[in-house]
Amino acid sequence: MTAGILGALFVKGAFLAALGSAFFYYRGSRNHHAIVPLARMSFHAAVIGLMSAAAILLYLILTNQFQYAYVWNYSSTDLPLPLLISTFYAGQEGSFTLWALYTALIGVFLMQYSMKREYEPEVMSVYSLILSFLLLMLIVKNPFEFIWDRFPDDLIRTGPIPAGVGLYVLLDDARSVWAQYPAEGKGLNPLLQNYWMVIHPQILFVGFSAMAVPYANAVAGLMRRDYTSWIRVATPWLVFGAMILGLGIILGGYWAYETLGWGGFWGWDPVENSSLVPWLLCVATIHTTLVQRKNGAYLRTNFALSILTFLAVLYSTFLTRSGVLGETSVHSFVDPGMWVYWLLLGCIVLFTAIGFGYLWVRSREMPLQPVQHSIFSREFALFLGAFALFFMAIFVTIGTSSPIITTIAKGKASAVEMSYYVKTNLPLGVIVAFLSGLGQLLWWKHSSGGSVLRSMMPSLGVAAAGTALLAVFATEEPAILLLAFCAVFSLVANAQVGYGIYAGNPKFIGGSVAHIGIALLFLGFISSERYDEQKTLTLEKGIPVQALGYEMTYKGYVPVDRDRYGFLVEMKKNGKIHTVAPTMYYSDFTKGLMRHPDLKNLLTRDVYVAPLSLEEPTSGRREQALELMKGEEGTAGDLKIRFRDFGDVDRTAMIEGREFSISAKLRVLESKSVKPKDVTVTILGSQSGMKPVPATLTTTDGKSYELILDRIMPDREDPSRSKVALKVVLPEDPSVPARGETLVVEASIKPMINLVWMGTVTLVVGFLLTIVRRIQEARQIGPSTES
Amino acid sequence: MNIKVIVAIVVLAAGLMLGVMNFMESNVEYADFNTAEQSGRKVQVKGVWMKDLESGFNAEKAQFTFYMKDDNQRIMKVVLEGAKPNNFELAESVVAKGRHESDHFHATEVLTKCPSKYEGDAEAVKNTL
Repeated sequence: MTAGILGALFVKGAFLAALGSAFFYYRGSRNHHAIVPLARMSFHAAVIGLMSAAAILLYLILTNQFQYAYVWNYSSTDLPLPLLISTFYAGQEGSFTLWALYTALIGVFLMQYSMKREYEPEVMSVYSLILSFLLLMLIVKNPFEFIWDRFPDDLIRTGPIPAGVGLYVLLDDARSVWAQYPAEGKGLNPLLQNYWMVIHPQILFVGFSAMAVPYANAVAGLMRRDYTSWIRVATPWLVFGAMILGLGIILGGYWAYETLGWGGFWGWDPVENSSLVPWLLCVATIHTTLVQRKNGAYLRTNFALSILTFLAVLYSTFLTRSGVLGETSVHSFVDPGMWVYWLLLGCIVLFTAIGFGYLWVRSREMPLQPVQHSIFSREFALFLGAFALFFMAIFVTIGTSSPIITTIAKGKASAVEMSYYVKTNLPLGVIVAFLSGLGQLLWWKHSSGGSVLRSMMPSLGVAAAGTALLAVFATEEPAILLLAFCAVFSLVANAQVGYGIYAGNPKFIGGSVAHIGIALLFLGFISSERYDEQKTLTLEKGIPVQALGYEMTYKGYVPVDRDRYGFLVEMKKNGKIHTVAPTMYYSDFTKGLMRHPDLKNLLTRDVYVAPLSLEEPTSGRREQALELMKGEEGTAGDLKIRFRDFGDVDRTAMIEGREFSISAKLRVLESKSVKPKDVTVTILGSQSGMKPVPATLTTTDGKSYELILDRIMPDREDPSRSKVALKVVLPEDPSVPARGETLVVEASIKPMINLVWMGTVTLVVGFLLTIVRRIQEARQIGPSTES
Repeated sequence: MNIKVIVAIVVLAAGLMLGVMNFMESNVEYADFNTAEQSGRKVQVKGVWMKDLESGFNAEKAQFTFYMKDDNQRIMKVVLEGAKPNNFELAESVVAKGRHESDHFHATEVLTKCPSKYEGDAEAVKNTL
């Protein structure tokens, strides 16, 4: 119990220390250098406090302390260790803790980094302020809340403690107030019980945390009227943020593809969009800062974009964490309460005011650098590319905010369809793909049309040939053809330029490699999303079905991982056999059926099988129920059945608990016959229960009926009104097909989806190479030489 | 004015126009079954699943059929392209996106609105004591 109180204290202490650090650093930046060591100490104190709080939370989760609301809400005793760790960030309190923790840890590196570049007081004052706001969130949304504080009416009692109440804790000894608490947690959402969830949120939150650094750098630059060299200090962090966040986004996409069964890796879901927008802005910033390095233009643009990148992180958090999106998405957004809502909104307003307020004040004294470049220059290509990325970010933001916009405009929240995102982003994607190739071929300042054209020849040629092939073999929309053309062009152009750079100065190859990654991603998107073949298959057990070029057979189910079942589907092609096992199970947590797809990753394609439902076997014989009074006649199929009387019951056997039987005497008449038959149907009774014994009846034309005594309903007052309930199984009817156990799946082929994963790896490598180069550059130049 | 600036403004304005039009077009309006029937347009209808009436998955067509009552108490057969949505049993209300067809509402997507986490929790906490 004390651990949680200690944890909450650590959070509060860390908040005060971070706030103090922000203040002391700010004083330090106003020429009170003596105070800087104190600011450093405060920051370190905040980091240690937060780390301690996080360690306590992890300890509470690992030791199943369900007296804490958070642990109870997201964990349970049956979770294996990796999943227990991932419950740390399964809820809002925990994921804010993780975000704050990574912000703090990055801050430790940032402090060292900016100290060397004499940028520490300004950068760290802004950064500490950001950290303190994240910590304030943890005070409002306390991860260490006791469960009886959340449910006081249900758990807190007064008076003597009755025996056998289970787990309880005495709150007030004098007034005998005590609280019960659970011995088991609610458990982790099965969608999150997945190894991707152990790694993917961590990477995303490192990315989110890293986005605060360019903001801090930009504001620091404004504070000390340094409008140029702050960029060199900020660039490695921009690239680092873009790399980590990009990786997190793709991993999230893979989780959706592999676990959620979306059928694709991207669904334009608010949660996905909310990490995409900061990434787009961050990448746009990387490109516009390149121009400023070269010719000093875009001073204001670079400040604005750096500030905006972080604001996009805050706005995204607001959208997905404040409950404003309500139920317009497949993710369910828990309403966290008014406090979080207003705090997040306050955060956005404050950091917008600081960033853009400072920019507005300073922009009047910033030198106006006229933009001097021709259309045939790398600067212009960079500018246009950044512009397109910026507009992508705007369109995605507008789409994601649709529930808010429509609430204001129409009074009722509604989300946009996926087609909105495709239609708005496709033309911009074409521009980005084209420029990512062209920009690399152009020279700074000015390129002569002829030389550019000459250097473009190989890539244009390959792209034209590829696109022509595509146009011949697949009917395709012009927009997609154009995107394919631009992607191939960019791929070849960057390979060509990259080779040239590699021969000259391999250190500078990062940009080309990253662009090759982007081109591969584009091609992967086109091939896997546009050329996927999809089919709903009804697979009866053991019977092969030809589909999508495979012979698919459902082989039955096997238990996998605890109480889940995998449904084995065998896929045969050219003598090779692959087996996939999509799973379906009933989840107590969601009170519904959970379905997870399975896929076979082949070199040129994925075969993706998503389960829809399992149909019980049907025999093809229908059943008919009859209720007959004594002497009454009923019809079933070709039979007329009359209930004559009950058979004799051995009452002594019944009382003594020996086996006994209840029977009914029937007279059955075929419609095509005149001679009735007498049939007796019985129920055998024993200590283990009642079991009907079916009576089979074959008619003169060879059809087989089954008569079953279902129930007897004796009438004690008037025995002549006693009834029996019969079930008659009718003979096989060719119009009702007999069918074994049947699995219904949605199978699809995703051609060349490996291009997406290849592109991701290439992109990350490109970013890494760039970070190395930019860190070296930031070290060589240093702040004092330019500012 | 500079010709480049004019071109830029025109491109910008056209882009924004397209964006706005797209936004309006892809924002599916809320309606009830009556207006859905009259307009024949793609709409989304909020209502509750009639658990007592028949529902089931058609394996051949891969469609899930159920009955739904909208806010005007009108009950309509809904045919969803796909399997029964997750959390369907748990949902306190559902939103069907699609258009009206001769005798039923043909939905391309059904979203489930689940009880707010904290409402169900007081009950859940008692169960885990």
